[in-house]
Amino acid sequence: MTDASTDLATRFEPKEYAILTADPQVFAARFHPSGKLLAAGGFDGRVRLWDLSTEEPKELPALTGHNGWIQAIAFSPDGQRLYAGDSWGKLSAWDMSGGEPQLVWSLDGAHDGWLRDLDVNADGSRLVTCGRDRVVRIWTTVDGAPLLEFRGHDTDVYSARFHPQQPFVVSGDDRGLVKQWSATDARVVREFDASVLYLEHRLQDVGGVRTLAFDRMGGQLAVGGTIPKNGATVQGTPSILMFDFETGELTHTLNLGDANHCFVHEIILHEEGFVMAVTSGTPGQGQVVFRRPGDEQPFFTTSKLSNCHSIHLHEPSGRLAVVATNRGSNGNGRQLGKDGEYAGNNSPIHLFRIAAALMERS
Amino acid sequence: MESSLCKPWEHELSRRQLLGTATGAAMAAVGLGPLLQPTIANELKKKNKQVLFVWLDGGMSQLESWDPKPNTQFGGPFRAIPTSVPGIHISELLPNSAKQMHHLALIRSLCTQDNSHSAGVARIQRGDPKNRGVTYPYFGSAVAKLLGPGESNLPPYVWIKPGSGGFKHDDAGFLGPKFGALAFGDGLPPDNLLLHESITEQADDERDQLRQAANRRYAARRRKEVTEANSYVFEMARTLMKRQDLFDATKLDPRDVERYGTHEIGRHMLQARKMLEAGVTFVKVNSYGWDTHGDNFNGHASLVPKFDQAFGAIVEDLADRGMLEHVLVIAMSEFGRTPRINGHIGRDHWPEAWSLVMGGCGVREGIVVGQTNEKGTFVSTDEYDIGHMFHTWFRALGIDSTDIEYDNAGQPLPIAHDDMHVIEELLA
Repeated sequence: MTDASTDLATRFEPKEYAILTADPQVFAARFHPSGKLLAAGGFDGRVRLWDLSTEEPKELPALTGHNGWIQAIAFSPDGQRLYAGDSWGKLSAWDMSGGEPQLVWSLDGAHDGWLRDLDVNADGSRLVTCGRDRVVRIWTTVDGAPLLEFRGHDTDVYSARFHPQQPFVVSGDDRGLVKQWSATDARVVREFDASVLYLEHRLQDVGGVRTLAFDRMGGQLAVGGTIPKNGATVQGTPSILMFDFETGELTHTLNLGDANHCFVHEIILHEEGFVMAVTSGTPGQGQVVFRRPGDEQPFFTTSKLSNCHSIHLHEPSGRLAVVATNRGSNGNGRQLGKDGEYAGNNSPIHLFRIAAALMERS
Repeated sequence: MESSLCKPWEHELSRRQLLGTATGAAMAAVGLGPLLQPTIANELKKKNKQVLFVWLDGGMSQLESWDPKPNTQFGGPFRAIPTSVPGIHISELLPNSAKQMHHLALIRSLCTQDNSHSAGVARIQRGDPKNRGVTYPYFGSAVAKLLGPGESNLPPYVWIKPGSGGFKHDDAGFLGPKFGALAFGDGLPPDNLLLHESITEQADDERDQLRQAANRRYAARRRKEVTEANSYVFEMARTLMKRQDLFDATKLDPRDVERYGTHEIGRHMLQARKMLEAGVTFVKVNSYGWDTHGDNFNGHASLVPKFDQAFGAIVEDLADRGMLEHVLVIAMSEFGRTPRINGHIGRDHWPEAWSLVMGGCGVREGIVVGQTNEKGTFVSTDEYDIGHMFHTWFRALGIDSTDIEYDNAGQPLPIAHDDMHVIEELLA
């Protein structure tokens, strides 16, 4: 490990301070910009909320009205709004400025079916969504009016992000194609080839671009997924492709585990020049990984958390939320609890503090 | 005075008639050798029943296909959609099958015994009969034996599969190797099927006579089952040489190619339609890669629509051609998948409560038999095992499974689990 990495390992070692349990499972968890609230989209179509302002995190009443799964969720930068998209194509906005969240608007058919991802632009005026209907859409956040539609992907679009500084959107599909669009006229600017993240295996399209992330200034684009080995019980090497956004050049390919660890589900490009990412595996259990792109090895990794699906950093407080899965979540056939019930799985949400941020702000 | 008219019961196929003897070797019909007497064989042959058996190897999720539970704890991300039959809803991943539901029947109350692939695939396809110390035939081999090749004289059990082809004798179990499956790898004919251009038909006939003479000498010193199978496979090859049209892709209607899909299962299902049209008794179409312990939902979002495209097309075509009158259509796996969603966002093996779809050949159309509970975890009506399905399928094919038995070198064996029965509500 380099001196720089050793330094990062010391400063950014996450210290777990609480575990919230979401039952049934949830996907992504997001901190409110104030750091006082955590929201997570569930397998049960609810948005789960936890009050983090008290010493002991306390669960608040969930937001209802969605269907299927809520995989896409985000707060506006000012914290006034919470947006959620579900697997039946519904998109909703809640006012979070008062005591009780209030539904501001919702669109039942924002997408035809699974709304996979959403992002809010830097000034909070626009939303971008994408889905299984192969379409990427931009909406105004005020009232959910549609502004722009991109129809250029031939397959399921898994992820979409606004560029943090420029009027561009990037969207990634299940064939490993990333398209850069103009957010003003829907013109395709260029494409990034991430097809190494895709495999046609037997009848199945395997892998694809599972997540996208920019760094704070938008100079780097990270494209996450797996380099697939096979379909069915998908195995592959969890990988991140790093592109220089200015030149479009692929600068690094980060392999974050072996073929048992499979998918990179979410990436943070930290301003100190390293990647924070979570993976889940088959049959492995996934990892949390912090790594500088130029290094051979991560400066932090843990597999103590089982099958992680999201990671979110609240930078002002140095708090980190990682959504994982309970241990022993898989198994064939009838497995009943001691009371004879057929129980589902749950999602422990691990809350960490990162020492560096705390020291720097103390 | 005796009437010269025959009595109705004289046309019935009694168990005694059907038991047959091992000395019935003179019977011409392939598959009816030691089992059935010629008159009875002819009765069955007249029915000209056929089977399309679609096998989705690894385990299709019932919750992402025939028994969706949207907006429930284990329901997953997908919506349910209406079908052509009011009140029946299936997964949104099956829009083409939904349009054909009025030709189909769903069984949502399967509860079988094995949650492993290694034992489950064979156990299901052999009908999971009581253990009598013998290896039972796969359903395809059983039908090949019981119905024979029909008037087409084509191989009675054809298996269209990804990967390699060849003669798969293991399927036949105690029936003997000749009732195995003739597998067409990727739907293609065996290599070198065409007669070499330098060989005339006359020369070929002479060579064949020489081969037959050599075979007779070879057979005289070996077990009959093996030599019979060798000869049988060779004869099948000669039959197929005359039916190269079955494999000529240039004769396919481009609209059909598009309708069925250019992917593997689309091509194979279209090939299956050609085989059924040509009169093959049992056609199995196999798809691999359904064992989605990880990334189940994206996996099914990719797999199911391709199956649906091909399956919807063939059901529509069989119905349009009037072939559903005599073709029994079945699509299934070795089990379903767990309601519980694991940390790999996958579903594991679940034989406790799963579904299959069937149609044609007298199966009641547009019905659902059985149901699972609200969360889809267990069957809430009568449970049906694969033995029930075998009884039902045999009945649909005109074979009385309570009366007909196999004769395994003098050992009578029921053709389906003897403690199970026909699911009457499935049959018209």
